[in-house]
Amino acid sequence: MSWQDVAIVGPLVGAILVAIAILLVDLVVPGRRGPALTVALLGLGLVAVLTALAGRTPGQAFGGAYTVDALTTFLDLLFISIVGLTIVFAPDYLEPRDLPIAEFAAVLVFALTGAMLIAASTDLLVLFLGLELMVLPGYLLAGFAKRDSLSTEGAIKYFLLGSFSSAIFLFGLAYVWGITGTTRVAEVAAELARVAAGGAALQPGLALGLAFMTTGVAFKIAAVPFHYWTPDAYQGSPTPITGYLSVGPKVGAFALILRLFVGALGPLRADWLDVIIVLAALTMTLGNLVALTQGNVKRMLAYSSIAHTGYMLVGLAAYAGGRQEGLQGLLYYGAAYTFMNLGAFAVVAALQHRPGVTSALETFAGLGRREPLLGILMTLFLLSLTGIPPTAGFFAKAYVILAAVQAGGALSVLAVIAVLNAAAAAFYYLRVVVYMFMREPVAETEPQRHSSLVWAGLWATTVLTIVLGLVPGPLLSVVTDAAKALTS
Amino acid sequence: MLDHTVSLVTFVPLVGAIVIAFLPRERPDLARATALVAALVAWLFSLGLLVGFLPTHPGFQAVEVADWIPAFGIQYKVGVDGLSVVLVVLTTTLTWISILASFGPIRERVKEYMVSFLILEVGMIGVFVALDLFLFYIFWEVVLVPMYLIIGIWGGANRIYATIKFVLYTLVGSLLMLVAILATAFAFQDAHGGQWAGAFDFEQLRTFAGTTGFANGLQLAAFLAFFLAFAIKVPMFPFHTWLPDAHVEAPTAGSVILAGILLKLGAYGFIRFAIPLFPDAAKTYAPAIIVLSLIALIYGAIVALVQPDLKKLVAYSSVSHMGFVTLGIFIFQQQGLYGAILQMVNHGLITGALFLLVGVVYERTHDRTIARMGGLSARTPVYAATFGFFMLASLGLPGLSGFVGEFLVLVGTFAYNPVVAGIATLTMIFAAGYLLWMYQRLFFGDLSEFLCGLGAHLTDIRPVETLTLVPLATLVVVFGLFPGLILHLVDGTVTSVLSGLQRATAINLFFWQ
Repeated sequence: MSWQDVAIVGPLVGAILVAIAILLVDLVVPGRRGPALTVALLGLGLVAVLTALAGRTPGQAFGGAYTVDALTTFLDLLFISIVGLTIVFAPDYLEPRDLPIAEFAAVLVFALTGAMLIAASTDLLVLFLGLELMVLPGYLLAGFAKRDSLSTEGAIKYFLLGSFSSAIFLFGLAYVWGITGTTRVAEVAAELARVAAGGAALQPGLALGLAFMTTGVAFKIAAVPFHYWTPDAYQGSPTPITGYLSVGPKVGAFALILRLFVGALGPLRADWLDVIIVLAALTMTLGNLVALTQGNVKRMLAYSSIAHTGYMLVGLAAYAGGRQEGLQGLLYYGAAYTFMNLGAFAVVAALQHRPGVTSALETFAGLGRREPLLGILMTLFLLSLTGIPPTAGFFAKAYVILAAVQAGGALSVLAVIAVLNAAAAAFYYLRVVVYMFMREPVAETEPQRHSSLVWAGLWATTVLTIVLGLVPGPLLSVVTDAAKALTS
Repeated sequence: MLDHTVSLVTFVPLVGAIVIAFLPRERPDLARATALVAALVAWLFSLGLLVGFLPTHPGFQAVEVADWIPAFGIQYKVGVDGLSVVLVVLTTTLTWISILASFGPIRERVKEYMVSFLILEVGMIGVFVALDLFLFYIFWEVVLVPMYLIIGIWGGANRIYATIKFVLYTLVGSLLMLVAILATAFAFQDAHGGQWAGAFDFEQLRTFAGTTGFANGLQLAAFLAFFLAFAIKVPMFPFHTWLPDAHVEAPTAGSVILAGILLKLGAYGFIRFAIPLFPDAAKTYAPAIIVLSLIALIYGAIVALVQPDLKKLVAYSSVSHMGFVTLGIFIFQQQGLYGAILQMVNHGLITGALFLLVGVVYERTHDRTIARMGGLSARTPVYAATFGFFMLASLGLPGLSGFVGEFLVLVGTFAYNPVVAGIATLTMIFAAGYLLWMYQRLFFGDLSEFLCGLGAHLTDIRPVETLTLVPLATLVVVFGLFPGLILHLVDGTVTSVLSGLQRATAINLFFWQ
């Protein structure tokens, strides 16, 4: 390990230090939200700056196991925003329920380190390490309201299935290691390219490894039919945490897919293309169909997040079909989805400010009259999630669909399935708008006060949701570079 | 030439909407006034556009281009030709009339209503002026949301069902159109060595379609997707079922805009995009579309005949009248196309006015059941006369504008096929049937028991209401006597569409390559 290595892993180390600092502050001034939040947000800002600085000089550390390139920087900054926004949205919800804020923030930042490790790792074992580092805090967070039986149930389900899928994934990894004899991504890719060039059928070992790894990853991103843990884990968790779980680990798992499937298994993409197409079609369709029947907004958003996984998989499939734009679309979608979904969950959390308020559709009845601004922002997020221009969600969807259309063949059919799904999704997203603006409230409730922190976060997500739809140019060039860094 | 008139017309309403958003909630009168002013300013700008328009100048005018998403060659490109100018002016006119007509009936959440209405105007004008397919799609979808809110919040009892049906129908069509737009742009990019520049630019795409032409497979699929989006909007049989629900539930001004402008978006899409970009496919599908138009003509008229609800009757008559428009477009013949465009404008004016008139009686009676009316002419003579005027215009009385459009379409159709023309002419008899019968039941005879019960509430038409109807009546007379005013403007459009079709040949659906 040289000094250069230290400089490259600087942001990661910084994130770990931030997490420790939060815990230390909480030790010194326990139970106060101010100091812990200040440290957390300032620290994250600093880590973001470090990330941006480190990203200016791409390089590798630890013998090629850890890489900083355009993709790492993009994903890291995205993860930092996810964690930062979650920390901004959560206190208003946690405090009335007597849930510790400092611990919450620290656990989240630890999850961030895992995600950052995934984004940078170019070694299969480090990849696995990052994955576990990212999801373990997730189990903790899901069960954060430990006196709530639903939360505990969701956490146990999440933990059990998560561990299973990790094991399955690791098992697949072992096969790939056994056949290629290396865990370095570049070397695995080179070895597999030789296999693929031979033109022979896939060896049974490699096929098994591929199948196990796909299954493991499909669990993590909650692709159908490996999605059963999602609704329970999401509904049981405290709402701001649900928001995090629906975005953070998902984008993290997609980072893993990029590093693993595109980076290491890219040469075999013709072999996993069909699987991804089927997964994408199933995930979109089933996620949407079940979301249609939900009467609880949190659960509806949980199922709809499954559908969004499907749209992102369309981008991956388009890449496998030979289109670089697919990767760009996937990355763009990840960013757009992050902000619009976090925003939507933030509104749900804000409504549940007072303990005992459920996330049922009835809670939203008359919101447009009670708290017009909140209603309008929620409408914007929902329109973006539907994919109506000029919002981030629209451009992201158009992007993956464009890539699929370009790839042609079966992927054109997938594009059509995707848009039909988007139309179906309009029904349940707009139903919330119906409740907010077109129905009278069930019981007269007072408008609630939300902290300026929540408003700041809401405005940030709002602005990003609009800007990423109206001026996609800048992010477009960022994701283009990121995708290029991955495939060149 | 730095001319920003088109952008001004498009975005003045948006400025108005933003201003209204910051007005205090307790002052609905300010919101109303601001909305009216914004709409009137947009109207004046559009008149400026009309005055500055040179009918003899081929191609698009007042074009503005700016790079928007250079990575995909997507531009902010707007401009107008004769067809656009006519429809933009129609839009701005009907919008201020509708806003004025909303002053009385809309008393709840006035601020939100006016914001929705002005954003709706932005979307509608944008659709008519966009010359970049991506931009066009965005405006096309922008129209959807405010209309969804207008029907859903300010609509009648069954408004939620109606508005969701409206959104879902429209969205299915438009999303498939998005796929088609992307596929078309990609085909263009592919044919130009992977360069995205111009791939969404309508003019370049049209030139490409007229020279090299898109592959048959793409044409057949993409035209179908465009067709679905536009046919749902028009709406053509059998995609019309959202329309009666939406109309019945929408507030009066919503119905006016729905019938007056939104339905025209579909017809405009056919003329502007679907036919010029995919001429071979258009020729291939034309016979089927003509059959659908005939069915819409007859079916709409017959169903209108038996409607017990006044508003539903006018809604179904729209289905029938729009059948003339699609028929006129797809016979690919000069008189037909002229007639179709004229019919678009006329239908906007006449049906818009009819919905306003239905709104007048509804506001007094809170009922639209024809059977409960009767003898209105004795109590509200001015109303009866006005209604009679627009009713006659709707059934195609010579001298009023409705006649010219339908007549031209029929002349064109006769040249295309006398049998088709014969069937289409039958509709005019049906139209006379349902309109006259409706008029008779509403206005003649003794005052019905229901109306008697209303007593003094049943007043004649008020000055504000007159103010909304007089401009429409004037235009109906003017265009009836001088249809050349419009035909002269759209000369260039008609010539360009038809010349683009000359080289096109129908694709053999069974053996295309």
